[in-house]
Amino acid sequence: MKLTQPQIQDLYAFTRKHFVEHYDLQTELVDHLANDIEAMWQDEPKLSFTDARDSAFKKFGIFGFMEAIEQKAKAMNKRYRSYLWKELKKWFEIPQILATIVLFLIFYVSFSSKIAGVLSAVFYGIIAAWTIYKNVRLNRQFIRRRKISNKKWMLEELIFKQAGITSLIVLSQVHHTLVVSDEFSMNIYAIIGLSVVYTILLLLNYISFELIPNKAEELLNETYPEFSL
Amino acid sequence: MYICIVMSNSKLYKGSLNTIILKLLNENDKMYGYEITQKVKELTKGELKITEGALYPALHKLEAEGLLDVEVAKVDNRLRKYYKLTENGTKETANKLEELAEYIKTMQALVNPKLA
Repeated sequence: MKLTQPQIQDLYAFTRKHFVEHYDLQTELVDHLANDIEAMWQDEPKLSFTDARDSAFKKFGIFGFMEAIEQKAKAMNKRYRSYLWKELKKWFEIPQILATIVLFLIFYVSFSSKIAGVLSAVFYGIIAAWTIYKNVRLNRQFIRRRKISNKKWMLEELIFKQAGITSLIVLSQVHHTLVVSDEFSMNIYAIIGLSVVYTILLLLNYISFELIPNKAEELLNETYPEFSL
Repeated sequence: MYICIVMSNSKLYKGSLNTIILKLLNENDKMYGYEITQKVKELTKGELKITEGALYPALHKLEAEGLLDVEVAKVDNRLRKYYKLTENGTKETANKLEELAEYIKTMQALVNPKLA
């Protein structure tokens, strides 16, 4: 005996009730529960759907779907970071490395100048404003996408909702550079260090706010074969 | 007697879960989660039972490490996710099996010196 479509939908609702928010994991767990229920019906055809479902769920142990959810989140974060890293590496290859060098030199010359303090504050302000603006825009984009598809994908959430996290963390760590002392302008290593941080930050922002969201469909299709089904 | 992967008395098997998954996929081209649990049960005549709570985290970890690839197909009236080995996964399977064989040999020497 096979499960009906309403029973499959009930299993989707069941996974949502047990904190599985994302469609890809829901689909995998629904198929698992369905297979188990159908196997139970072979031995006990009179077993009710609800009893069979609960019994299949019990086999996941006392933590239910929690371990699967946690591991999936870790795996997806790793995948997102690997996309970031892959794109970042390209900026150290020919010809993009020329743009990276120019960017670094702009920061280096600025931080070596007499008005390093002012320029540092200006750069910080621009990057912070860009980060906040793009976070709001991408969040709105995410809400619009959700309304259309009605399905939640973990990678999509990372691309659109968490794009600014790395940037916000770095910004919160480098805020003290706003106060650039005279000693700083004399220390070449400090200037190189700060220029490197700003260059990487700018590249990461560009990758996570522009490049990756623009490639979202391609990345989602690559990650989830069921995305366009 | 069932030995469940997540039960405390099965720590010996727990470390081998990834190897078991990789080995099965090496022999079966592509498999889905439920099929893996059933296959292990069948091959070990019920001695070893991979529990659901341990299987999916392991599969997702192997996928994130680039050892597994996924495929989705519509079966009956639902979607089914299949796992298969990537090129790296095939190489890693050989390494893991070699490691496991070494481990078994070492344990054999310790537990039963006459056989080793």
